[in-house]
Amino acid sequence: MDIGQAFTFSALGSQFLVGLSRAMILFIVSAGMSFVLGVLRVPNIAHGSLYMIGAFSAFSLAKLFGGGSGGFWLALILAPFVVAIVALVAERSLFCHLYEREHLMLLLFTFALMLILGDLVKMFWGADYRSIMAPEALQGSVSIMGSPFPRYNLFLLIIGPWVGVGLWFFSNKTKIGKIARAAAVDREMVGAIGINVSWVFAFAFVLGCFLAGLGGALVSPMVSVSIGMDHDIIMEAFLIVTIGGLGNMWGALVGSLIFGLTQAYGVLFWPQFAIVFPYIAVVIVLTWRPRGMLKSVW
Amino acid sequence: MKGKFFTIGLAILGGLLAISLIIFPANVQARNIKVGIIDCYSGPAAVFGKDALNGFKLALEDINKKGVLGKKIEFTTRDTKFKVDIALNMAKELVMRENVDVLAGTINSGAALAVSDAVAKKEKVPFMVWISKSERITGEKGHRYVFSTGENTAMAGKAGGVALSKKPYVKYWVGGDDYSYGHDIANAAWRNLKALRPDVEMIGKSWWKPGEPDLAPYITAILGAKPDAVIFCTGGRSMTNIMKAIKATGMAEKVPVWVHTGTDHAVLKPLGAEGPEGVMGTMDYHFYYPETAANMAFVKAFQAAYGGPPGFPAFHGYITAHLIAEAYKKAGSVDTEKFIDALEGLKIQSPAGELEMRACDHQVTLPMYLGVTKMSAKYGCVISTDIITLTGDEVLPTCVEIKKARGK
Amino acid sequence: MFKGTFSLKSLILLGAIFFVLLILPSIIPRFYTYILAVIFVTALVAMSLNMVVGHGGLFQFHHGAFYGVGAYTVALMLTKTSLPIWVCFVAGPIMAALVGLLIGAFCVRLTRLYFGMLQISLGSLIWAIAFRWYSLTGGDDGMHGIPIPSIISSSKGAYYFALIILAICIMVIYLIFKSPFGATLQAIRDNPDRCEAIGVNVKRHQLIAIVIATFFAGIAGVLFVVVEGSVFPDLLFWVFSLEIFIMCLLGGWFTFAGPILGAVIMVSLRTFVGIYTEYWTLILGIILILLIFFLPEGVWGYVLEKFGSRHKEAIEKGSK
Repeated sequence: MDIGQAFTFSALGSQFLVGLSRAMILFIVSAGMSFVLGVLRVPNIAHGSLYMIGAFSAFSLAKLFGGGSGGFWLALILAPFVVAIVALVAERSLFCHLYEREHLMLLLFTFALMLILGDLVKMFWGADYRSIMAPEALQGSVSIMGSPFPRYNLFLLIIGPWVGVGLWFFSNKTKIGKIARAAAVDREMVGAIGINVSWVFAFAFVLGCFLAGLGGALVSPMVSVSIGMDHDIIMEAFLIVTIGGLGNMWGALVGSLIFGLTQAYGVLFWPQFAIVFPYIAVVIVLTWRPRGMLKSVW
Repeated sequence: MKGKFFTIGLAILGGLLAISLIIFPANVQARNIKVGIIDCYSGPAAVFGKDALNGFKLALEDINKKGVLGKKIEFTTRDTKFKVDIALNMAKELVMRENVDVLAGTINSGAALAVSDAVAKKEKVPFMVWISKSERITGEKGHRYVFSTGENTAMAGKAGGVALSKKPYVKYWVGGDDYSYGHDIANAAWRNLKALRPDVEMIGKSWWKPGEPDLAPYITAILGAKPDAVIFCTGGRSMTNIMKAIKATGMAEKVPVWVHTGTDHAVLKPLGAEGPEGVMGTMDYHFYYPETAANMAFVKAFQAAYGGPPGFPAFHGYITAHLIAEAYKKAGSVDTEKFIDALEGLKIQSPAGELEMRACDHQVTLPMYLGVTKMSAKYGCVISTDIITLTGDEVLPTCVEIKKARGK
Repeated sequence: MFKGTFSLKSLILLGAIFFVLLILPSIIPRFYTYILAVIFVTALVAMSLNMVVGHGGLFQFHHGAFYGVGAYTVALMLTKTSLPIWVCFVAGPIMAALVGLLIGAFCVRLTRLYFGMLQISLGSLIWAIAFRWYSLTGGDDGMHGIPIPSIISSSKGAYYFALIILAICIMVIYLIFKSPFGATLQAIRDNPDRCEAIGVNVKRHQLIAIVIATFFAGIAGVLFVVVEGSVFPDLLFWVFSLEIFIMCLLGGWFTFAGPILGAVIMVSLRTFVGIYTEYWTLILGIILILLIFFLPEGVWGYVLEKFGSRHKEAIEKGSK
């Protein structure tokens, strides 16, 4: 590609926006994983499975509500709750009994959960590709700086920060959010002052999975909703959380931005090797700051 | 206490399982013809594996009415989960334990190549590959015991090259999934296009992770480079994503795009009205074209049995079953070597007309249908229209080329 | 903590098992010979992982990367060079250990979860390279038909080769386990701060353990190529690494022989349940959950606890 073309303001600008919108979905999903990691101190390997369930739920809900624009909005709002319920059931029936155990047992549990949820999705929804259509208002593209920018990506750019603000508000301004953050740092102390730590963990897990479901629902109009989505997202979420700082939600934001933007610009300058960019970015960041860019919660 | 109960239970279960498998090794009844199928029934490729199996089963219903050499054809399946090591394990299990006569499957090219070498060639069991598209399967890595009833990247590339050579475009951008399938299509298409039109120029390439959800950044970058036309080499996973991205960015209205299997109904149907129009695609099977009696009958039977129209994997599965049956009939006995000899050069009637299992490379001479997507009110989604047919002979590599690839 | 000192009873038992394994290929169908060979390879990679996880307490989440490096090295050397077989076979584990040293040096700076996540990141980079470098590694098509001399590539040949190498490796790992180095490593696992305080160079010990473990993983990779004759990027993928990790936990990561049992269970489950249903991952997940609840010290750990009184104290200490 003519390198001169790559440097036009228009190209750089539109790639920036595109990278940003990609980062928004990554942020929502990895913030969820980061939150769980911070409070429960275990990376939720089943996070991708819940993301996938979010996408499938959005598909089914949209179909249930008639498939049109209204259906989509309803599906988008309800799908994360469906996922949250699944998470709650898994947590209260099984996971919560393991909190006193060795850490690796929790990890093993999330792995087993991923296996089970993956097959359950296949049993319930089948192997065919599904597709959701974005509502009318969000279809097509607008011309930004001369390049077509899909309206749906614009929507993501607006929604992402709101989710971020909502999360910040939740963890800093609400009582339960503050308790969760405290439990992340020192669970014994929280237990000692009479708070039921188990319920705090339940809340954290469910909230994290809610976010995963939201991410899945948001991404569904852009991709084919199919089994195997869980494997796609989990590695990216892992890496983002690692470079952002374990348990730190702003770190998840920073990590997502790094991922989204390196990919968008990598595509512009060296489109042949786009697949290795995220990994190289991770290696660079971790060489410089092995514990992640921002402070980890613990 | 719980632990003891559990361990003993597990041990008994394990013991029973082991004993049952050794005492009842496999179905050793009135020795029917057994086909062992390894395919992917989990993950994003499952929709294709299932389709192929359905096509195969449909054909067997007819075939088993009359039987083959006084026997029925039965089959058993194994899920490889798109993993090569599991495919190897399962293929060996089918050959060594179930004693299948023929192996069939899979969609994963890596698995197909591995099984072709380690099981088909080593154990001398014929392996009919029905979805994997790597040209290496019947090309450089081909041998006596492997056959392909699906189209491969060399054929797709030639079809694309031939089709595009007739257009006035000179500056091309090539993009696709960053794995061997994507690269193979790109190389084959470019090789053929350049041979027919030495004036064409590749101004850039983009490769993304297979399954990449957000392809908008790639498209905007490509549009910025202003090519005359774009060649996309995407696999099943990214196909929906690229179609959605093309529609969302309105790419097809700005620059011509060719995508192999872009007109695959399995992808276009769920998209509905969201499928992009004006995209060029090649496929080796459409259930709506050609509207021959044979095709219509096949589609009708398939629809009645499985509730939806057949896709290209179903078509491949269907012809595989018929090829197996006809070859055994011609061979006159359930003997592997005679079966292979009978298969070579065998011609059968299929929903797409007469097809031949070429002797020099064990590849079926499938036609290629080149079309342009357009909205169809009848099907509620975009389908391929203005279809031009390229015959098998026009798209397959020549026997001379195959010999050269195999280093002979 | 020890599987059994060299008491006469244990030696006879081990000898008997080994003898049975030696004569098995003559009596069981060929497929079982093949599966046992696969189990041997998997058992070796699980044992090598347990050297750092069970004995060392490190969260080695991407051990498969080293296994894959060993396999790819020997595959590349056998297909692209005409060096003698033995050179290629030895190059595999050496390369794996070198990569282990490199990645290990990066990771030991950190502890616990950070260590694991960093390792996943770096290991995934290796996967991406193998996947992308099509001209060298065959990308996701993999490399097949790797020339292995027929005495060891036949079903029986591969079986015996894998069995012998496995037996030797287990003995070596056992010796390391019982050596002062091994004892130090376990002490570091249990209380790194105290060890630091008494002057043990914790990081260096961990790094050495990683290099040794990755060396054995490389050997397992070479065995894989002998048994299957192919390599492909799946070997380097994080899901496989997690599976090996699960094998150690399943078998009992505080025991010596636990990972072997874990490997047996996982491979058998995958193969034999897979014959009956395509939902075997669901069944695996359920069994794992049951195991977590009822047998947290792993199957072998549980067996030892029940049938070996001297180990009880060690197990109790471990499962806390």
